[in-house]
Amino acid sequence: MSKTNSNADRFRKQAIAADLAEPVAEARNLAQTLGLEPYPVKYWIIDYDEMNELIAYGGFQSRYPHWRWGMQYDRQQKQGQYTGGKAFEIVNNDNPAHAFLQESNTLADQKAVITHVEAHSDFFAKNEWFGLFTGGQSDEAQVNAAAMLERHARAIDEYMSDPEIDRAEVEKWIDHCLSLEDNIDQHRVFERRLDIDGPTEEIDEDLAEKLDELGLSEEIKGEVFDEEWLEKLEAEDGQVTFPEEPQKDILSFVREHGKQYDADAGRAVEMEPWQRDVLDMMRAEAYYFAAQKMTKIMNEGWAAYWESTMMTDEAFAGDDEFLNYADHMAKVLGSGGLNPYSLGMELWEYVENTTNRREVLERLLRVEGISWRNLTDVVDFDDVLETLEPPAALDSITVDTLEDVAELPDEWVDHEALERARDGEIDVEKYPWKVLTYEGLARRHYSLVKRQHRGFLSRVSQNELERIGRYLFDDARYDSVEEALEDVDFSAGWDRMYDVRESHNDVTFLDEFLTEEFITENNYFTYEHSKATGQFHVASDAAEDVKKKLLLQFTNFGKPTIAVYDGNYNNANELLLGHQYNGVMLDLGKAKETLKRIFELWGRPVNLLTIVKEVNEHDVEVAKRRNREPEPEERGKLVRYDGEEVTVENVPWDEVEHLSAEDVDYDTKPDEWLA
Amino acid sequence: MGLKDDLERFREVGEQRREDLADFIQYGDLGGSRPGEIKIPVKIVSLPEFEYDRRDKGGVGQGDGGTPDVGQPVGQPQPQPGDGDGEDGDPGEEGGDHEYYEMDPEEFAQELDEELGLDLEPKGKKVIEEKEGPFTDLTRTGPDSTLDFERMFKEGLKRKLAMDFDEEFLRELCKVEGISPREVFEWARGENLPVSMAWVEEAHEEVADERGTWSSIEEVEANVERESVQQKIRREGIKHVPFRREDERYRYPEIIEEKEKNVVVVNIRDVSGSMREKKRELVERTFTPLDWYLQGKYDNAEFVYIAHDADAWRVEREDFFGIRSGGGTKISSAYELAAELLEEYPWNDWNRYVFAAGDSENSSNDTEERVIPMMEEIPANLHAYVETQPSGNAINATHAEELERHFGTDADDVAVAYVNSKEDVTDAIYEILSTESDSDE
Repeated sequence: MSKTNSNADRFRKQAIAADLAEPVAEARNLAQTLGLEPYPVKYWIIDYDEMNELIAYGGFQSRYPHWRWGMQYDRQQKQGQYTGGKAFEIVNNDNPAHAFLQESNTLADQKAVITHVEAHSDFFAKNEWFGLFTGGQSDEAQVNAAAMLERHARAIDEYMSDPEIDRAEVEKWIDHCLSLEDNIDQHRVFERRLDIDGPTEEIDEDLAEKLDELGLSEEIKGEVFDEEWLEKLEAEDGQVTFPEEPQKDILSFVREHGKQYDADAGRAVEMEPWQRDVLDMMRAEAYYFAAQKMTKIMNEGWAAYWESTMMTDEAFAGDDEFLNYADHMAKVLGSGGLNPYSLGMELWEYVENTTNRREVLERLLRVEGISWRNLTDVVDFDDVLETLEPPAALDSITVDTLEDVAELPDEWVDHEALERARDGEIDVEKYPWKVLTYEGLARRHYSLVKRQHRGFLSRVSQNELERIGRYLFDDARYDSVEEALEDVDFSAGWDRMYDVRESHNDVTFLDEFLTEEFITENNYFTYEHSKATGQFHVASDAAEDVKKKLLLQFTNFGKPTIAVYDGNYNNANELLLGHQYNGVMLDLGKAKETLKRIFELWGRPVNLLTIVKEVNEHDVEVAKRRNREPEPEERGKLVRYDGEEVTVENVPWDEVEHLSAEDVDYDTKPDEWLA
Repeated sequence: MGLKDDLERFREVGEQRREDLADFIQYGDLGGSRPGEIKIPVKIVSLPEFEYDRRDKGGVGQGDGGTPDVGQPVGQPQPQPGDGDGEDGDPGEEGGDHEYYEMDPEEFAQELDEELGLDLEPKGKKVIEEKEGPFTDLTRTGPDSTLDFERMFKEGLKRKLAMDFDEEFLRELCKVEGISPREVFEWARGENLPVSMAWVEEAHEEVADERGTWSSIEEVEANVERESVQQKIRREGIKHVPFRREDERYRYPEIIEEKEKNVVVVNIRDVSGSMREKKRELVERTFTPLDWYLQGKYDNAEFVYIAHDADAWRVEREDFFGIRSGGGTKISSAYELAAELLEEYPWNDWNRYVFAAGDSENSSNDTEERVIPMMEEIPANLHAYVETQPSGNAINATHAEELERHFGTDADDVAVAYVNSKEDVTDAIYEILSTESDSDE
């Protein structure tokens, strides 16, 4: 941070840090007892300005020089200045993770932030999509994000200060790369590439690092790999088309095969070493941030869920702080709309509740005389819920009830800790959870009996009952409901949540857990644009339609899928991209501008095949008069930029047919719409 | 390098340099603010990317208290959860993309005051009521409900602090072998304890049996712990605060003469053929913040919008910045209409601002023969003319110059400002508003 801190400033922050030492240590203990496995977190106390700076930099202290950080800083500052917006926390995905606490937060806010951060850190460490970035490395536990970004900052800074290189050129080059930052293959393990062309597969990334550290000049590195590089080039010349399969990672393709356009010479020339280097860095950063963009709802919901469990259910906020905390929570969750915090948290609760409900129902269905047909008639759900209430000794733990705790089933109690609590070493009034295990806490916070979820069990539909009943693995029979309930696994909900947080991303998460009930309760609807009226109209409130539209917004970062189809198009080394059409057309204006940027990274003409929807004026007129929507016609187009001008020409349908997906339809317009 | 540098370069993008990005800047629209709120547009540069066609994509909305009917128009799409790019979605960051910052006019006025070092104190013109102010004045009698208990309690506490002393310790002193009340009293006075001789005598009497417990004052000092009054209050609580009648104060309200601060702002705009898009936009950029500012400064702000070419007519705000007509230009027509409309807002009760803007083109002699006399005739806190000439001066565009020549550059109630580009807007606003503050002093 550019600001130098005065001593007074430092002492003040140290004092705050000292007060937070205990909450930080205990939040981690609690998180781990609850089953979270976060990366270690380093906490920093910072002031308001520093917080703004960090947010502008995307959570890191050092980024490459670029106007976009200035833009975000400007926005952040104005937001704070004009709206009193309060930044609570920022945590970055790294091992160890770094979290930043604003010094002006109240203690309750700080505690909330800390619990929230611990859950994020667990998500970073355990979600497989985050693993794609670290997975290609020799040591998967290392993220090294701060170090990487710092290295990029220094390298780009050096290029910009190099008298041989025009600073504006570097900035422009970065912009070109950023236009493609979402055009990567985010579902694959990130493969780091070397600073020059050449086979990278055999070369361990550690070696690449070492080469970097040796500080070899680009020329030397070029010589080392020169032969291989030439061989590869020659081999490519022999091919008629490449890549063999359409390649989504456009950034990597232009990095390997692109050139720069030399305006003076009027032709493509090899990229400068710094240009390749910048491309590599931008691509690495795009991969690093991709996981966060893919798991926004899950990750925020996850943090909100565990924050709430720790802060409210486990009273991590002291009594006097609780009001303050409730206020904070209301601000965050109540921001309206499809806010990732509340949507995510509700979905996680849904995962927990359905799993727990399924567990209970599976037990009940094994009771003699109970089947999916009669379950709702013969079982009294209120009685069931009563039985499922946690025992009093577990529910409220004080110094005086330690003997009762000792009587609880062994798997719930940490007997060693209990011993220490008896000796007064553990303050159970403040930290009752310390004498419990994961299973004990799961029992203590069993979701189905919580006030807000009490109706969940009885709301089970006949369909779901049937589904569970039909596929039940009939390994045990019970004589009574009581006997069946004794076998209920109270950790089932949490266990399932931990599985889901490992393997899902927002798309699969929404797809699997966004329910009709949720959509209807929250009055969600889809809207579509009408060519006849020139306006957006409500199109549907059917759950499957809403879900479809939502998925469109989360699939592939909410962006259309574009892939490289040919790197030797027209047999003239032109680039051919294809838009994998899913029924929603491209913004052609933006696509043309993007092609101009790609031209700079390819050096030769660039082409894009796409499908557009066209309606003729006459049909629109007719439709208007009849209060209908004109039927658009789908047509193939080839958009081309040759360095001078953009042209768009029609192409026959069979040239684009392979791009069109038949099995998806994101259009939610009803047949009788505007009538 | 560093954020300052990034910010600097961001501000230059598309302006001083990087013209290649000029097309990708959205400044947002100044209009669209509802009364009582202001949307400040923010510069946002979005690099081109492959994106869906916004219309073809559609979206998901959330109904307010129910799901709307199918077919109902939804207006501008709501921000979508997947929207926003870059690292906007970092965990821990709240809020998404905004093209605007909302604030209320009062805050805006305050910001602008601070930014420009202005201090425009609006004049209250009309007494609307005499009302009871806050209960800040005090009297010695009054109804119980207005008793200022806090004050009484503080006075009592002060008295207690002044009068209380460590009774236990003095009692122990009285137990010293052969000590006399006078010696105890003198010791206490030496320690600045507010004790009376009568109290000492009484205590001395009470502990007569125990006299001889201690051999000397020094021994007591060494063995008995002394307690300050503060410590004592902390230990005992403040049960015995000595309330006295003379500390009682009753609050009664101040009578405040409330003057309502009314303002009427007349916005005049040349909509003739020569006022092209660029000029129009500059007018909007200058007028809108002026309106907001005055709205924030006054209790009650009314706006009158006049469009003119060779004729003038009154329009609504929504239409004001959008109108284009073909005709010639006669600025005086607008002032005639302004004079007529201002009759509704008597000068005695209203602060008046008359802002006109155009490209300084006027029909011959109109400025000198008609506009200037009318500006002198119409009483107002401030008359201002904003010239918008993006291309510098046109030959026959002399209205602003003529005004300046006639009124001079440091007139109290007439301001002339030149806006040739967006960068001039702030200066123009300052020029106009500081003219008014000068006239105030």
